[in-house]
Parts: sequence; structure tokens; C-alpha cells
Amino acid sequence: MKKAKGLILFLVMSMLLLIAVGCGEQLQGKTKEAGELVVYSARKEKFVKPLLDAFEAETGIKVKLLTGDEASVNKILEEMNNPQADIFFSNDTGAMEYLRLQGALAPNDSKALEVIDAKFRADDGSWVGLSARSRVLMYNKDLITEEEMPKRLEEIADPKWKGQFAITRGGNGSMVAHVAALRAVWGDEKTKKWLSDIAENAGAITKGHTDIRKAVGAGEFKFGLVNNYYYHQQLYEDKDNNVGVIYPDQDGMGVFVNAAGVALIKGGPNMDNAKKFIDFLLQPEQMKVFAYNSKEVPLHPDVEAIPEAKKINEYKIMDMPLKEIGPVWNDAKQLIEESGLALEIK
Amino acid sequence: MGLPASDMIGKKAAPMLYLGTSVIGAAMFIPILYVIVRAAQSGIERWMRLLDTRVPELLWSTLTMTLTVTLMAGIIGVVLAWLVNRTDLPGRRFWSWVLALPLVIPPYVGAISYIIIFGPRGLLHDWLGNPLFDLFTFGPTAFVLTGFTYPYVYLIVSAALKRMNTNFEEAARCCGLNAGKTFLKVILPALRPAIGAGSILVALYILSDFGAVAMMRYPTFTAAIYFQMGSFDRSGAAILSFILIAITLVFLWLESKSREKMKFYQTERNYRTGKIYGLGRWKWPALVLVNLAVFSFVVLPLGVIAYWGWIGIAKGVLDVQFFRYMWNSFSISALAAVICMLLSLPLIYLKSRYPSRLSLIVDKISYAGYALPGVIVALGVVFVYIKYIPFLYGTAAMLITAYILRFLPQAMQAGDSAMSLISPRLDEAALSLGKRPWQVIIQVIIPLVKPGVLAGGALVFVSSIKELPATLLLRPAGLDTLAVRIWIEASEGFYELAAPSALLILLVSILPLRWVLSKY
Repeated sequence: MKKAKGLILFLVMSMLLLIAVGCGEQLQGKTKEAGELVVYSARKEKFVKPLLDAFEAETGIKVKLLTGDEASVNKILEEMNNPQADIFFSNDTGAMEYLRLQGALAPNDSKALEVIDAKFRADDGSWVGLSARSRVLMYNKDLITEEEMPKRLEEIADPKWKGQFAITRGGNGSMVAHVAALRAVWGDEKTKKWLSDIAENAGAITKGHTDIRKAVGAGEFKFGLVNNYYYHQQLYEDKDNNVGVIYPDQDGMGVFVNAAGVALIKGGPNMDNAKKFIDFLLQPEQMKVFAYNSKEVPLHPDVEAIPEAKKINEYKIMDMPLKEIGPVWNDAKQLIEESGLALEIK
Repeated sequence: MGLPASDMIGKKAAPMLYLGTSVIGAAMFIPILYVIVRAAQSGIERWMRLLDTRVPELLWSTLTMTLTVTLMAGIIGVVLAWLVNRTDLPGRRFWSWVLALPLVIPPYVGAISYIIIFGPRGLLHDWLGNPLFDLFTFGPTAFVLTGFTYPYVYLIVSAALKRMNTNFEEAARCCGLNAGKTFLKVILPALRPAIGAGSILVALYILSDFGAVAMMRYPTFTAAIYFQMGSFDRSGAAILSFILIAITLVFLWLESKSREKMKFYQTERNYRTGKIYGLGRWKWPALVLVNLAVFSFVVLPLGVIAYWGWIGIAKGVLDVQFFRYMWNSFSISALAAVICMLLSLPLIYLKSRYPSRLSLIVDKISYAGYALPGVIVALGVVFVYIKYIPFLYGTAAMLITAYILRFLPQAMQAGDSAMSLISPRLDEAALSLGKRPWQVIIQVIIPLVKPGVLAGGALVFVSSIKELPATLLLRPAGLDTLAVRIWIEASEGFYELAAPSALLILLVSILPLRWVLSKY
């Protein structure tokens, strides 16, 4: 009896082995065939998936998604001699320009790219921004009025705000890019001082912005430094939604606007499909899906933003083209590390 | 797989067997070698910067957590083992296996269940307006980790208690020591090797854990290495890994010490089952303690996951996608299990029949991947594939390699114990009856070790399904597994989407429990 059981188990295992081997071969061969697209994404999966499904339905091209985080950038660099992916979705233009400078991206001369302001795409078209992510201060209207709110980022370093606001960890992609931009305006010393002051001042240092918007909405802090769509997302919550927003530095340097976008990876297995996919994304209806799911502001001029959002031309933004962040990206991290704002939270 | 073709009776195995074993041994060692080489190549400046900034705080946070959890798991494990095995605790047979259950709950699943309830936006926050305490701090993290690791101590100490000779105890009682003093002066010292062995398993686990500490946002070396790999910094990851390897080696050295001590703790021939002590007025506190442990580390996590799993299923999570993830998990893990079983055969055969320096070294090396965190193994696997087997890079092969590196020792352990029960006389008898050596292996050895090897394979299968960090780092695009889905959904706060996968993993993990329990 026992013997028979063992034999059956062995047979089942062997069968699984055979099937799995077959499956493995299939996996291996797949990317080499036409009709596929491999996407690495640092964006939340729920923001990316609908677009991929739409693309799959429209073209019949099978899309394979690998959802990661900032680690995707490192993975793409590791794979430069043997690229696995065709497309990289990034939340941050700094990361994409960094990849371009490292030689990991391929130029793209598609005319479709031209609908996006040149400020928000690479010179060679290898990456293109799709939606804006402006750095704003969102606040809880029950705890503080618009008049009382700080209007410049410099002000939040003032000890009078001690413990009353939240920021993300220094290694957060949006934070790194923001710091890189601030350096360009303020210089190293001032930026470092500001960082160490706000690290000291902040009531909480979180992993990401979702924690901040929820905490500000719930009244745990008066305000927080977030990307503007987190403010929009909080407005759509069933509760804790009495929040307001300050677009800072309107009388000075302007708001830092980063962009989420898409990059074309050099030597990817399905280059043609990848270009097709980028053209697909730049269609107004897809831009809408891309930006609306996350409540970001579309960079396509013909696509309306959600009603609560300020349009990209309604406030003063920093002059610096986004591609200039790429070269200083790694340095910015070092500066943050030196300032004492932890890259990773404990 | 090399089968010996030479005469069995001579004390030399076939060159093929040696060759195969050496190749397996070398393959097991390469990833670790890579990490060390990468760390050494990183340059003094990089080292100094990390040593100045991250390393001291990581050392502190990692070691304090490891020691605290080890101590707490040690105390809880010993107390529970004592209560269940040597007292008149009501329902102790039932408790004895229920208390081992947390072992099959992956700590990251346990952590999720706690986050769902006590997290900053958890159920308590929804009900009371605030979560009462900050879950993501040292104390609660240590509590959760303890809860899902104490069974290592509990099981090993239970086994020791069952084997323990009561003669010493009775002698102590005769000499006038009371029950408490007998425990402290006689039983506890006798249990020391078992406690040590269990505690070191706990410590090694805490050093290597990624999922639970990352979800509880507590920085240890393992989590730091994972995040360092994500921030364009492979050298930094390699340096941190190097230090973690050193720490792990210290603990492994401690373990081998404790094993040495274990050796001169043997049962005598005149064996009798241990005396059962009456708890008296301690009955109720003891019951409360046992119930508390079972509630916190069995009922609560299983209940939360089952409840959220049910909500998720009601929402229609079990779609085609889900079954694809399931298929990915099962097929990759099954493949790893089968390969581990096949690889373990020559290793255990050589070790048992032709013990030599080579077999000893390969045996030790094979355990390296087991003791080291999955992130380090993944780091090594990536390097090896990029450099030497680029055409398989980006396929499931990388994942399977990592599983084999990490879990082959589980198959070997199981096979070893089966092999040690087969007398070499059997081989000789078969040979003297005119069987060829390869026939002996196929007709005599394999059928006899099969149950053990299959059990080992089942363990590898379950461990692979549960594995998180290496899977996250190595999975190819479009090949998400259940563990990966748990991580992705949970880190975005969609617990009802994470729970069905967690539920399935829990169900699969419970399968080999009986075998795990019988092992201790």
C-alpha cells in the first residue's frame, strides 16, 4: 500500500517535471518570436495594467509585465549586454535620463512624440513623459487654513513647524528627483542644510506618499510634501477628504514638476512592438487612461485633466528641463545621505 | 548523475560519481564566491563610506533584533515544550501539535495578518480611530518574528524532553531537590544542547528573513541588501552581503559547537518515559499562556488570512490570472523539487558509502546556500547567468537555480536519514548474488531511500513556493508566482487581493507538517 502511494507520487512528480520542462521551453522561446512585448514597470501595477490589456486587445501582441520598483533601473543596467525588456515605465524622468546616459535606451524618431512639450522628453526621443507629477504641499483643512500654510518650501525648515508635517524617505524616487532639481537652484550647501532641517522637523518620514496623504487626511499631521495627484486621490476618498493644496514658490523658483513616462530599451527583443506601443500610449484616449487612473495631469495638451487638478499651465513651474536631472541623479542621493535624511526608513 | 561502474567492494567509487559530486559542490559555491569577489573589488572608499554610515546602524538593528527574538523564542519554546510534554496540562496532546503550526506560516504572511489588524491603517485604526500603538517599531516586530520562529526551539526541545532519561531527575528528587530546583539544576542543563540548536535556527532565520522585516519596515542587513540592489548599487549590496555572510558564519560556528555538545548527550539503555508533573495552581496561568500563543500565532493569522481570502474570492480574485500565478508557482517549485531529489542521490550515496574529504566538503558547501539569505543567493545567481549562461538569463531557469541552491540541503537531509538506515551489508549481499553495481543502486538503494528522498522533495517544493526575496529578484517578466503576488498586492495595501494567494500557500505548507513534526 505504502509502496503504491510512493509510486503514484513519483509518477505525479515526473509528470509535473515533463510539463514544467515543456513550459520552461515555451517561456524561453516566447520572447524570440514576434507578437510579444516585455514591459518592466516601476509604476503601480493597477495604473499600468489597463493600458497593457487595451494594447493586447487592440493588437493581439502578448504583453509580459514585470512590476518592480526603483530596482527596475538597476535590472535594466545589469541586462545591458543581454536586454530582456522592450519598455520601461518610470515614475521619474531622472531615472530614465540616467538610463539614457548609461547607454541603455534606444532613440525613437516617431512623430507621435511631438505632441509632448520638449521639456518633458529626451532629445533623442528615447524616453517621453506622459503625465505630470508636481511637488506640492497638501494640508488638512480642519487643522490649518490656506493663509497659515507655508507658501515656500524653504519655510518648512522653520522649527515652528516641528512635528507638524510628513515627508517621504530620502530614497523615494520623487524625493531624489526633487532634491536634484533643488540643488540646481539652491546649490549644494543650502540644499543639504534644508534637507537636514526638514529631516529634523518632520513629524514622520514615510516610505511612500500614500501614507502621507492618508495621515494628513486623517488629521495626524497638518500638511505633507507630496506629488499633486496624491492630493487628488485623497479628495476621492470616502472619508478624511477635507484636504487642500498649496503649489509652493509661486513668487520664486516655481513648482518642481516631474513626469511619469515610458522609455524604449536598447536592443530589446521586440523593438518594433515597443515603438508601436509608445505610439499607442500617446493617443489621447490612452493618455487619459494613463493619467486618470492615478489622477496625474496628462502632458498631452488635448487631454483634459481631472476637474480637481490644476492644468500644467496654470501655475509657475521650475525652468529646468527634466533631462538635466539624469546626470546629477546619483549625486543627489549622496547629498541626501550626507544630509542625514535616511534613504530608507527604519 | 554519475553511477558507479567500478566494484563496490573496493573502497573507491567511480570517477563519474566523484566528478558529478564535485561539479554539484562547485556549482553550489559559485554564487557565494561571487558576492565575496564583488565585495573585495568594491574599493576601499566605498567600504569606508558604508562602514561610516549604514553598517553601524544596520549591525545594531540586525543584532539586537536577532538576539531579542532568539532569546524570546528560546524562552517561549522551552516553556511550551515543558508544559506540553511534562505536565498534566489539560488537552496537551492537542496543544502539542497546534503549537507547532506557526512553523508552516511564512513569517511574511504572518506579518501581513498583523498589519491588517494593527497596522497604521488597519482594522483597529478603522474601529478606534487610532491603531493604539505603532506596529512598525522594534517591540511589535520582535513579537511577530518570535511568534513564527519559536517552533524551532519548541520542536527540538520537545524531542529532547521525550528522549530524556528520567534517572537523573529521580536521583535529584531523591537527594531532596524540589520540582523547581530539579528543573533548573538537572533538566535545563541537559536540555542546553537542544535549546542551543533550536535558538541558532531561529537566529539564522532572523538574519536571513526578508519578507517579514521588510513588511514591518524594520531595517536588517537582508532588507538593506535588497533595497541596495534597487538603488543602482551592486557594490554596496555586495559589501553588506559580505558582512552578513561573516555574521552568519559566526552563528554557524556556534551551531557546530552546539552540535558537538549534543553528541555526548545520549540516552541510556534503561530508558523510561519522563515523569508528568502536576501543575496544581499553575494550571490556569499555563492554560492562558498556551491559549495566548495559539491565538496570537495560529488563530489570528489563519483567521485574518482566511477572512480576507474569502472577501477576495467573493470579489472574483480567482480568475484566469490567479490560476496562471498558481501554475507558475507549482510548476517551478515542482521542477526545483525534482532536480533537488535527483542531485541529492549521488551526494548522499557518496557520503554514506564512500565517506571522504571530498564528500565532506561538498556536504558542508551545499549548506551554504541554505544558511545564507535568499537575497545573497539571488545576487550570485544573477551574476553567474549574466556572465556565463546569458542565453538562459531572463528565464525560469534562474529561479529554479536559486531554489536548488537554497533548498537542496533539505532534500539531502531527508535522503541522508533514509540512507543511514540502509546497511552496506545489503549492497554487499546484492553484489555477491551477481548483481552489477548499477543494478544494486537501481534495484536496492533507490527503492529503499525513495520515501526519504520523496519527503525531501516535498519539503523543497513547499519551501520554493514560500520563497520570497530570490523570487522577487529573479522572476522573469510575465512569470509572477503566488509569493510575488502577495508581496505586490500587500505592498500596495490590497490585502483582499493578497489573501487568496496567501491562503493557498498556507494550505500547501500544511501538507508536509506531519513529516516535519516526525523529524524532530
